[in-house]
Amino acid sequence: MDILVEGVSRIWPGRKGTSVTALQDFSYHFRSGRFTCLLGPSGCGKSTLIQIMGGIEDATSGSVRVVDPAVTSRARPLGRDSVMVWQTLNLFPWRNVLDNVAFGLEMQGMPRAQRHAKARALLVSVGLRGFETHLPGQLSGGMRQRVALARALIMARPIMLMDEPFGALDAQTKIVMQEELLRIFDETRKTIVFVTHAIEEAILLGDEVIVMTARPGRIKEVITVDLPRPRSLELVSTKAFGMLFDRAFHLIREEVMKSLEQQAAMLEEAQ
Amino acid sequence: MKLSARGRRILELTLPALTVVAFVAGWEAFVDLRGIAPIYLPAPSSILEYLLRMIADGSMGFNLGVTLLRIFAGFAVAAVAGVLVGVVMGMSRIAARVADPWIAALYPLPKISLIPLLIIWLGTGETYKIVISAVSAFFPIVISAYSGIRQADQGLIKAAKDLGANRRQVQMKVVIPAAIPSIFAGLHLGMGVTIILVVAAEMIGGSGQSGMGYLLIHAGQVMETEKVFASLVVLAVMGALVIKAQQWIDRRVAPWTALHDGH
Repeated sequence: MDILVEGVSRIWPGRKGTSVTALQDFSYHFRSGRFTCLLGPSGCGKSTLIQIMGGIEDATSGSVRVVDPAVTSRARPLGRDSVMVWQTLNLFPWRNVLDNVAFGLEMQGMPRAQRHAKARALLVSVGLRGFETHLPGQLSGGMRQRVALARALIMARPIMLMDEPFGALDAQTKIVMQEELLRIFDETRKTIVFVTHAIEEAILLGDEVIVMTARPGRIKEVITVDLPRPRSLELVSTKAFGMLFDRAFHLIREEVMKSLEQQAAMLEEAQ
Repeated sequence: MKLSARGRRILELTLPALTVVAFVAGWEAFVDLRGIAPIYLPAPSSILEYLLRMIADGSMGFNLGVTLLRIFAGFAVAAVAGVLVGVVMGMSRIAARVADPWIAALYPLPKISLIPLLIIWLGTGETYKIVISAVSAFFPIVISAYSGIRQADQGLIKAAKDLGANRRQVQMKVVIPAAIPSIFAGLHLGMGVTIILVVAAEMIGGSGQSGMGYLLIHAGQVMETEKVFASLVVLAVMGALVIKAQQWIDRRVAPWTALHDGH
């Protein structure tokens, strides 16, 4: 499923008639079965963008439409085509692992036995067999992350939107989860949009890396990552990876500096 | 003084009990040596004697039972009404707007000041005791339930919608369960208030001639200080047991609240 983002802006009203433009005239054609990373300094509006793409936030102007190029060339408004994996995970703390994963199917009215069977199968595939009756609060960060992934995957929607999902994990767990996600991508070939501020992560995972500018967020440059799949962490030490990293790093360094200046100016204003 | 880990553990377990024993023994010795009149301060041994006698003749069991029944009746009314109104307020802006001035005006009013009015209206029978305790417990329960619903994690609500939950499903499957810890906190507060008001109503109304409050005030009036102390001990134990039971129910119904991080 392609996602057509056209002229999307988001303006937050501020105090005393001022306003903050988080995102300005963002347009991009996300292609089916591709893994696209949104890379940018904090506050560049990349999270806002992915929320708008998921229909969770409204854009101030512009549109998000989807089209399945294998079926038609007519784009239609965004419906239930995507599912979000959240930075804060947002697991339901009172539901055990099985009922967290089966939540979406329960909402559709699928009978209990059927949805539990599906959830169980998915839990096996993300390595959580035997934890069905645990509560999220009883799990480690990496395990909770897997529950969140399974809960999204069970929806079988063509697009998966991921908003810095591994941001809170420790370095080792993060590596394991990245490899897990690479495997899932190779198996399902969903259209994935992945927000991150980690350059290495963006290049390791993505087919394209959209480098965004500091606020207001726009596209600075799109880097095509033509490294072969299936990928694994060993890729990081290759020369091709190093060159892509350098390129992304130079692009993003300028933006990080700009972002820091903006933050300093805002602090001064506040004083 | 150096202690092994084992020694420390034993000390940690026994010291609290030892302090209680030491306090009671000191009390006994103090009353005994100074020859203090039992009217002012009876010895623990004679308090125990009275307590056992009151248990044996059935007066303690009867009055405790009556008080517990009144507490549970008042609490049940307050819990059902409070949670219901709080949840409705949390879910409907109009309901919250309508209820807000009433709660703002009535919540700070000391409920005990309603006793004269309630006695005029209801007399000093059971209805009066249950109404005064239910009215008092209602407010902390309704406020906690309301704020629990209002403060439901927006992230969870967004996630549920993203996973296809409709408005009703979001409320039933996310907002209400998310409010349960807050609702339970309100029920704890409400139970504490109910106990206070039932005992106070028994002391003030008094036509029923029953209950722990009546027992206390009556024993005080006839200077049976041993009975006063025996009743206080029973009330303290009763309160502690009721709170423990509530905590046990909380853990059974909502085990996730004991885990500090559910996300």
